[in-house]
Order: sequence, then structure tokens, then C-alpha cells
Amino acid sequence: MGKHLFRDFKRWFSSQMLKQKVRYLFLAIITMYLVLFVLINFFYLKENMMNYTLNNNQKTMISIGNNLKSELNTINSMSQLLMTNRDIIAYLKSENSPRSLASHRATTAMYDITNSFDHITSVYLFRLDREYVHIAKGITWVYRNHLESEEWTREIYEKNGGYVIRIDGGGAFRSKSGEPLVSFIRLVNDLDTQKPMAILVINLSVSLLKDSYKNMESPDKLFYYFDENFQHINTGHELPNIEQFKPVDAPYHQVTVGAFGKEQVLSFYRIPDTPFILAGIERMSYIRFIPSESIWIIISLVALTLFSLILIGIFITVYITNPIERLVQSMDKSKTGWLKRVSLPLPDDEIGHLKNSYNNMLVEINKLINELLEKEKKTQQAELNALQEQIKPHFLYNTLDTIAYLALQESSEKVYDAIETLGNFYRRFLSRGSSEIPLREEIHIVKDYLKLQKLRYDDIFDDEYLLDEDVMSIKVPKLILQPLVENSLYHGVRPKGERCVIRITTKKKENWLYISVYDNGIGMNQEKLNTIMLDNNRSFGFKGTIERIQYYYGREDVYEVVSEEGLYTEVTLKIPL
Amino acid sequence: MYKVMLIDDERAIRNLLRITIQNQELDLEIVGEASSGIEAINTIDNYKPDIVFVDIRMPFMDGIEFSKLAIQRYPKLKIIILTAYDDFEYARSCIGIGVSAYLLKPISRTEIRETLLKVIDQLKVEKREEDEDIIEDDQCSIAKIKEYIMKNYMEPDINLTSIAQHFCFNTSYLSRMFKQKTGMGLSDFLMKCRMERAIAYAKKGTRMYLTAREVGIPDPNYFSKCFKKYTGKLYSEYAKNDTSNMANES
Repeated sequence: MGKHLFRDFKRWFSSQMLKQKVRYLFLAIITMYLVLFVLINFFYLKENMMNYTLNNNQKTMISIGNNLKSELNTINSMSQLLMTNRDIIAYLKSENSPRSLASHRATTAMYDITNSFDHITSVYLFRLDREYVHIAKGITWVYRNHLESEEWTREIYEKNGGYVIRIDGGGAFRSKSGEPLVSFIRLVNDLDTQKPMAILVINLSVSLLKDSYKNMESPDKLFYYFDENFQHINTGHELPNIEQFKPVDAPYHQVTVGAFGKEQVLSFYRIPDTPFILAGIERMSYIRFIPSESIWIIISLVALTLFSLILIGIFITVYITNPIERLVQSMDKSKTGWLKRVSLPLPDDEIGHLKNSYNNMLVEINKLINELLEKEKKTQQAELNALQEQIKPHFLYNTLDTIAYLALQESSEKVYDAIETLGNFYRRFLSRGSSEIPLREEIHIVKDYLKLQKLRYDDIFDDEYLLDEDVMSIKVPKLILQPLVENSLYHGVRPKGERCVIRITTKKKENWLYISVYDNGIGMNQEKLNTIMLDNNRSFGFKGTIERIQYYYGREDVYEVVSEEGLYTEVTLKIPL
Repeated sequence: MYKVMLIDDERAIRNLLRITIQNQELDLEIVGEASSGIEAINTIDNYKPDIVFVDIRMPFMDGIEFSKLAIQRYPKLKIIILTAYDDFEYARSCIGIGVSAYLLKPISRTEIRETLLKVIDQLKVEKREEDEDIIEDDQCSIAKIKEYIMKNYMEPDINLTSIAQHFCFNTSYLSRMFKQKTGMGLSDFLMKCRMERAIAYAKKGTRMYLTAREVGIPDPNYFSKCFKKYTGKLYSEYAKNDTSNMANES
């Protein structure tokens, strides 16, 4: 399946235009780059942040604990002020009943002392004889049964002057508002005898706890207090609905909960010398942990990378894909059949070289095509010429007149002979069909031709034939001999004014068939020999015939001319076998 | 009675023409034949024809060249060009130089008859005027003429008429005067010059066709005829004898 998909993708990708490929590639690179960048940053940051959070948390918790303790120390100092107050001591030592005056004075003193301290909601001073005085800011219920139970007082006696902290006085007090109370309880001893005289209870509001973390809270960071029995003390926040949010019996404890990206750090700290367990919940905030300088660095890195990629992309587009696209478009014009050269201003690099090579190739192709056309034209011209040669009206009409004369003056035998020869000649001469005929037929044409010419020109020549029977069946292009013989007669024999010989020789040597036409006419000098194959030459029949043979066999060396002025001319055709 | 001359390189065709023309029973007489333009130039002054038939294709001097010369020298001469079909366009362009008609080969008797009738009509219209400008002359002019001939006999196109025109004589007058003064016809004198030179060449063993060219009769066939008539021997015999003589001598 995956292999299949990969193959499909590969096929699709390779079918895209180069430009598209580059685009996709860049898109992929940019995406990959960004993802990688984000992931690296993310994990790095997270780890950093965790360490920082965890370290920081403990410090914060300890400092909150210290705040609370210092607050309690203040309360302790205040309690000592109360205990050493003259009026209060007087009240504790008074024996008479009613002691309204003493109690009144003590109450006044308590007001005076506590007035300058925060958090205090009520102060009770219980004498051991169950007499007591108190002051209070709100209404506080007192459950006296609790106070007298041995269980409740034991620890206080054991502390012997040290303070004990209990929530709601260990069940002895309850605020009417329902807010929990933090009770500060200690034994009051007689300064002189050091015997217990009373129990002092200072009920403090939960604002004492709130104040301890007042400046440390934020929407991402909340604190909670638990008592020694792991009961939550309501300080204003609802307990979050987190299962793990439960204190354990350890001085300090920290856990991380929540899914990726929504982590929360839960921490618990048992504040020493108090019954309180401080709990904290902190939501992780990544932004907070990325320092602003590094944000700038990151942004500029990303920007620089994107800029570089875009720059490379533009470079590739401008210098590679666009020129190639234009080149391809220009080359595409050749599809319409015009092999037109590409004339684009392309840079002088590999693409420019490609264009030049392409152009050079086109030039070559055009040259080849022209050569082919030229060759085709020449072949056609040669064939046309051969056709015109075939008709030979001049020869026919003159021969007819000759025969007409024979009919009028000579024997009918001669006329019959002449007409038969003429008929044979034209039958072979004009025969349609294959362009190749056996050499025997070709020789026949020449024989008939010369016989007719003898009638016309009064035996001014003799014709001789030296024929090799073995080669007579070899096929040769039609009408290659007659034009040569005609040339011999008109350009060699007749200008000489003497009786001459025209001799046809055929022979085979190695892989060549040689056919010679010899005449001992006027011959040619070198100068004339040189012009024999030129266009403006009068003996057109010769040139046309040679060219026809050359095209037919696709080679140049198909003939040879030997001549001596005033003596002879011999044209030899070389036919490859 | 009008005089006709036939010029064609094929004897058979000349004969055919002769028979055909005679059969027409027109008021015509065939006075001479020539087998080439060269022969015609040399003999036309003897025959003084009114009409010539000229084949367009002949070696050494073709029908067109001959016609151009003839029209220049014999303004009254009627020239009928004979041509095979593949020369037809060429022949037609000759009308411009002043030939009277052209006939296509193979020869058609009707066409020949019609053409001849037309030409005879033209001849009848053009009166024969034979002004004989008698020019006072002296020995001097004859000497000049001889000198001219001896200088120019190798030119193939000179004949009695062209010499007369050169010296501004009437042709027949010149002919008569020359014969009277020298005891020899002018054409014969020209031939004598050529043949004497030819004999010299023959003795050197020069090939006949070359000699013929050198002495102003580039048609070797006609040359050979003239040579035999003049010397009574074939050129080849002359040449052979002479070379054997030379061989004996050496």
C-alpha cells in the first residue's frame, strides 16, 4: 500500500513541469523547516520551562511558608503583650466575685493591644476556674464543652507556653459567617510562680493565610491551604477538579499533570511548625518562558531563512526554469513543421549553450533537409530529363522522313526493314514499368538506334560490339547507353568527316560491370574533358545520364572518360554489382 | 520560274523534299542542294536561288546562323525553316530575324504546297530589280579584292556576295569583272586559296577536320568534297602519301 502510494507520488511528481516541481520542493522544504524549528523550540522550551517552574515553585512555597510563620510570630509577640499586661494579669489574679471591674479593665486592655494587628477576629482568655473574658469583631460561637475536655487541653499543657494552631480551635469555635478560623492557642503562666493561670485563644481570619501568598498569585498560579488532616481550608478559591490534587505526607511534593500543552504543576509543601499544608497549581505558559531577545532571534532566523528560500526560488525561476520554459516553448514551434531557430536572449550559461547547440542542430537538420530536397529535386529532374529523352521527337520525325524517302525511291524490302527497326527501337525505348532492364535489351536499343542513324547519315560509321555473354542478363538502369552512343555520333564521328567506328564493349571485372562506348571521332582535349560535366555543356545527354546513374547507385565513381584529341573518345560506365 | 535550293544534312530528306516539291508541279526549279550551312554559303552564289529550305539542326553552322547571314546578304531571298517538334519554340523565335515560314517535320505535302504558294505570291509582288551599278574600276580594286580574299579566306562565312558588299559592288558585276580581269571566277579563286593552304596542311599530316577548320570550311564533309574536286585525290591519300614520303625521306 505504502509502496504503491509512493510509486504513484513519484509518477505524479515526475509528470509535473519543472517549475511546478521547484515550487513543490520549496513548499516542502519550507514546511519541513518550520515544523522542525517549532518542534525543536517547543521541546527545548518545555524542558527549560519545567526546570524553571519546578525550581521556582519550591522557593515560592517556602517563602509563603515563611510569610505565614512570621505572621504567626507577630501574633505570638502580641500574645506576650497580652500576658504581660497589668490589667489582664490583675484580672487573672482577682479572687473576688463579681469581678466586673477587673474584667472590664482586662477587656479594654485586650482591645487596646489587639487593635493594631490584622486578621484578629476574636480573643478569648479562659481562667482555669471557667471564668473568661473575650473580645470579638463578629459573632463567634464557643463550645465550652470542648474547652474542658482533657483531649483538647493536653497538647496545650504539654507545650507549656508554646502556641498551638488549630482550625476553628479544634472544634471549639465557629464563626457565624462560616469562614474558617485559625486559632492561636497558648497557656498563660503566672510570671512569678510559673503556674498555669489561663488559656489564651486568638482566633484569626483566613485572610492571614491569604496574605501569605498575596503577591505571588496570578491567574496561572493559584494557592490552596490544607490542614494537617488534609482537609481543605477555604481561602476563597474552589478546589480544582483534579484527581491528583491531594496532599501527601511528605515535606515537599510535586507532580505534573495534564495533556501535552495543557500541563499543570501541582506542588505541596508542609509548612514546618504549623499544621498547614500549602498547595499550588501552576498552568504552564510557554510564551512567558521565551525570552524576548530569543523571540527576535527566532523571528529573524525564520525571516532570513524564508528570504533565502525565496531568493533561491527566484534565482531558480529566473535563471533556470523560465529560460527553459521559454526555450521549450520556442522549440515547440518546431512541432508545427517549421524548423525555426530559437532567437531568445538567454544567458550565456548552460542553457544558452543548450540553445546554441539546439540551433546548431537545427542548422544541420535544415542543411540535411535541403540536401535531401536538392537531391530529390535533382533525381526528379533527372527522371524528367530521361522521360524527355525517351520521346526523342526530333529523331522520330527525321527517321520518318527518311523512311518516307525510302518508300518513294528504294525497295519496299528496305522500307519494311526500316519500319521494323524503328518499331523495335521505340517498343524497347518507351517500355513502361521497371526502371531496370537487362543489359541485353539496352544493347538492342543501341543497335536499333545505330541502324536507323546509318539510314539517315549514309554509313558514315561502323558499329562494333564486343560483348561478354555472361553479363548480358545483368540488370542496368534503363537508357544509359543510347545517350552515350548518340554523343559519340554527333560530337565525335560526324564532326570528323571521315568514316569512323563506334564500339560497345561489356565486361565484368571483380565486382564491377564495365560498359564502354568507344569512338575514333575527333576526341577531346583536356579543356573540353573538364567541362563535360558542367551545366552549360551542350552534350546534355551525357551529364544527365551520368547523374541518373550516380543517383541510382548513390555513388560518384560510376564513369570514366578517356580521350585523345583527334583520335578517340572512350566513355566507360562502372556499374557496381 | 523560281529557283529553289535545299539545305539539310540528311541526303534522304533532301531527296524527299526534291521529290515532294517536283510533284507539286509549281513553277519551280530545284537548282541546288547543300548538306550544311557551310556548303550553302559557298555555293549559294552559283545557284542564285529565290527560295531556300533550311533544316534548323545542322552541324558546323546551323539553320539559324545561316539564315541570319543569308538575310543580310540576300534581302530578297525567301527562307523556309524546317524543324522537328522539339526545336519548334526555337524556330518560332527565328521569325523575328526575317525568315518567311517554318515547316514542321515530318514533312507534310499539303503544308509544303501551301507554304510554297504563299511564298511564290510574295515573290510575284516583289519585282525583280537588277540595277547594275556600273562602277568605274581599275586593276587596283581587283588587287585589293585578291588581297582581301587571301587575308580572309579562313573566315567560314565569306563568299562572293559578302565580298561584293564589303567593296560596295553589285554581286553579278563583281563576278563578271573578276572573271574578266583574272580569267577565274571569284568563288574559284577563294576555293583555290583555301585548297592550296589545305594541301600544305595535308602534307604536314594535319588531321582533315582540323585542316577544314583552318582553311574556312569547317564542315569536313564538304571540305573533303572540295578537296577531291580540286586535287583529284582524297585528303587521306594526300596525307598518307605525304607522311610515307616523309618517312622515306627520313
